[in-house]
Amino acid sequence: MTPPALEAIGLSKRFGGVLAVSDISFVVPAHSITALIGPNGAGKTTLFNLITNLTPPTTGTVRCFGELLAGLAPEAIAARGLIRAFQTARVFPGMTVLENVLTGAHTRIRSPAWRQMLWSGAARREEQGLRRRAETLLDLAGLLKLADRPASALPMGAQKLLEIIRALMAAPRLLLLDEPAAGLNDTETAELADMLRAIQDGGITIVVVEHNMSLVMGVADQVIVLDAGSVIATGTPAEIGRNPVVIEAYMGREDA
Amino acid sequence: MLEAVQIVIGGVLQGCIFALLAIGFSLVHRVASAINLAQGAFCIVAALLTATLEQSYDVPVMAGGLVAVAVTGCLAAGLGAAVFVPGLRRLPTSSMFILTAGLLTLLEGGSLVIWGSQSTTLSSFSGERPIHLAGLLVPTQGLWLVGLTLVVTLVQGVLLARTRAGRAFRACAENPLAASLMGIGVGRMQLLSFVLAAAVGALGGVVMGPITSFQFDTGRMYTIFGFIAAVIGGIGSPLGAVAGGLFLGIATQLAAAYVSSLFSNALALVLLLAVLVWRPSGLFSAGPTRRQDVRDEPRVQRAVIRIGRRQGPVLAVIGAVLLFAGVPWALQGSGLMSSAIITLIVFVSVLGLDVLMGYAGQVSLGQAGFMAIGGYTASVLAVQFHLPPLLGTLVGLAISLLAATVMALGTMRLRGLYLAIATLAFGLLVDSLTVGLESLTGGPSGLVGIPPFSVAGFRFDTPLRAYYLMAFVLAVALGLLAGGMRGSFGRALMAIRADPLAAAALGINVPRHKLAVFCISAGLGSISGSLYAFYFQFLSPEMVGTPLSLQMLAMLVVGGEGTLFGPLFGVALLTLLPTLFQPLAQFKTLGSGLLLIVFSLYLPSGIFGVLSGDLRLLGGRLIAPLRVLP
Repeated sequence: MTPPALEAIGLSKRFGGVLAVSDISFVVPAHSITALIGPNGAGKTTLFNLITNLTPPTTGTVRCFGELLAGLAPEAIAARGLIRAFQTARVFPGMTVLENVLTGAHTRIRSPAWRQMLWSGAARREEQGLRRRAETLLDLAGLLKLADRPASALPMGAQKLLEIIRALMAAPRLLLLDEPAAGLNDTETAELADMLRAIQDGGITIVVVEHNMSLVMGVADQVIVLDAGSVIATGTPAEIGRNPVVIEAYMGREDA
Repeated sequence: MLEAVQIVIGGVLQGCIFALLAIGFSLVHRVASAINLAQGAFCIVAALLTATLEQSYDVPVMAGGLVAVAVTGCLAAGLGAAVFVPGLRRLPTSSMFILTAGLLTLLEGGSLVIWGSQSTTLSSFSGERPIHLAGLLVPTQGLWLVGLTLVVTLVQGVLLARTRAGRAFRACAENPLAASLMGIGVGRMQLLSFVLAAAVGALGGVVMGPITSFQFDTGRMYTIFGFIAAVIGGIGSPLGAVAGGLFLGIATQLAAAYVSSLFSNALALVLLLAVLVWRPSGLFSAGPTRRQDVRDEPRVQRAVIRIGRRQGPVLAVIGAVLLFAGVPWALQGSGLMSSAIITLIVFVSVLGLDVLMGYAGQVSLGQAGFMAIGGYTASVLAVQFHLPPLLGTLVGLAISLLAATVMALGTMRLRGLYLAIATLAFGLLVDSLTVGLESLTGGPSGLVGIPPFSVAGFRFDTPLRAYYLMAFVLAVALGLLAGGMRGSFGRALMAIRADPLAAAALGINVPRHKLAVFCISAGLGSISGSLYAFYFQFLSPEMVGTPLSLQMLAMLVVGGEGTLFGPLFGVALLTLLPTLFQPLAQFKTLGSGLLLIVFSLYLPSGIFGVLSGDLRLLGGRLIAPLRVLP
């Protein structure tokens, strides 16, 4: 049996006197789409930072496909197939759209830098293969005609899309997306939902932080609800939609 | 014992001026989050102005000093409004370094034009007779200096803590956007801090003038020591600045007295690196380091210049034909041949700088230091040990790579700010070694009798042979780098420059890449330095000193960084101009400062950026007929 894609056990993070994340445990089954939802300040982005070791957790451990991530540098975590996209799209300005996508393939490049410097045939063939793959992905996302434009010239929605494509170039096993639908209109959100399902069909596990409930209800296999740093509910989208605790956390109490 | 106390007194006086400069650094850093490298230059401009007033117009030194401080303040206000504040608005931190390095070069160049390279001194404020105190000698001027330091410390403490302006300063430092929303004129505050810091430096320069000698380029020493003091004390902490200054002053004076003056520079550098590595928040600051993610760095917005995949090879062929046939044919026998050779040699070094700065975004102000290591190692080995030039070059390369590795590992976890200062300190250390190790390097007068480069008995001793040697080295370097930069290696570097965090999240090992480019850059500098020495058959400290580092920075920015080929325009321009217009040679420093400022503010993509459209068009036209063929 394959181990779960992600397993968090007792994760906590204390910033000074504030317990931003307190004793969170959950399991993300392989090949699923898991949505993390919760009001602002619930600790969703902090949780992502803990998983990728951008900020080390105060207590608790994370396993990715059975392997402990504790103490690994961000690049080492990426090399193990766990890739994240940021809340504010962090495309590389000063690089073209195509170069941005190719940068995503960094961990897959087999030819060392000195071979590239010697213009070796193997390095160039590898580069051409990656370029074709990048162009295919850009084409699917409708960005191919912008491939040679500076990435910073794209509108926000396209930048977020670009960041996801860049992450896909890394051939991740587990993809963490932080609010991919923020700032997208309804049509774009629907396209994003299709894209997420396509990624899932490609055998990639997805964990997505999202506020857009139609997206969450449409694509997620499992929903984890955070509030004030703790998990308050876990279940299928249908179960979560009926859960009174969740409704209260989201809508506030009737008398409030 | 008495002697030691006497030295410590000297150290305290030295420390006072470091402290004043450190206060200036802290003030500007507090408000603008930038390091103003021109800080020390204001100090010297005021002192030189006072000297002129005193010596040529018989103005009493104190009156002259006040006038000089006022004039320097006005100068700072002008430069601040025209250069510094606009720069803060549109440039990321690393480019601010280049911009203020431009200001430093500009002020030095201006001083050179106005006052020449003579060193001078001032007369004491209250008589030349030192005070005898229990067997110790204290110059009266020292009391003035200590007094000034105390007053400035107190005044700025009160200013920051108790006044509205002080609160506004702090608000600007913490969050410029929020401050401007609260109605604080952020630009005005930044300008005010810049002018105040310059005025404090100017006061320090005038008061210190009588107990030291100074010339147009002394300012950069004050910049570096003032900055080291600020870092030791904890940058942004006013009291730490004073403590750091005194500590540094006493430590370097003791080292100079009991070991050697060479060692005192080395000690300052080692202190800086040690503090940066173990206590980046400073020895004397109690608070924790400010979180670095609170302030979002201005994103690096710059033009993306790419020569197309089709046009590239065509232009490369044209370039190769020009390099190997056109230029030597056109220039053979003319006086410009030598300029062409120097251009090629320096370009090799600037190429290294381009990979480091233009691609990976790491500022280096010490590239000439690696040229010095390469040049001196190879020539000393050739002159004194009769080692073949090629072997000497390789030994120099090895030493440079070692030095680069140590520096890179030491400053790895730090931001660009500290790396830049560490490289400047490194350059100055190498400067003092080349001057100081007289038995090896020949000292200030230089090393003579260096043989021309030779391989297996073939001597590159005619201009044409030397030219082809350099053209070959350059072509190899360009070929290797072009291969590296178009692949995943180059992309990783650009990603690190743009956003190190996102780069790491994609699996790019940021420290390892930084180390690699630092070594590439140092290696090219070293090779270029060796070839430089073998070409001139002579090497002096000023040929490969810190001014060259700053000049290469200007060449890079003017030519167009991050483009490999672009810097050639900058190197050629700044090498040829002084040759073509000999009478203008004294304006060389001033000119490169001016170009550095203008280009980094208004033409960040350099000459190459301006020309790239035409180049693409040219390449496109040339391949158009080929497309018709099947």
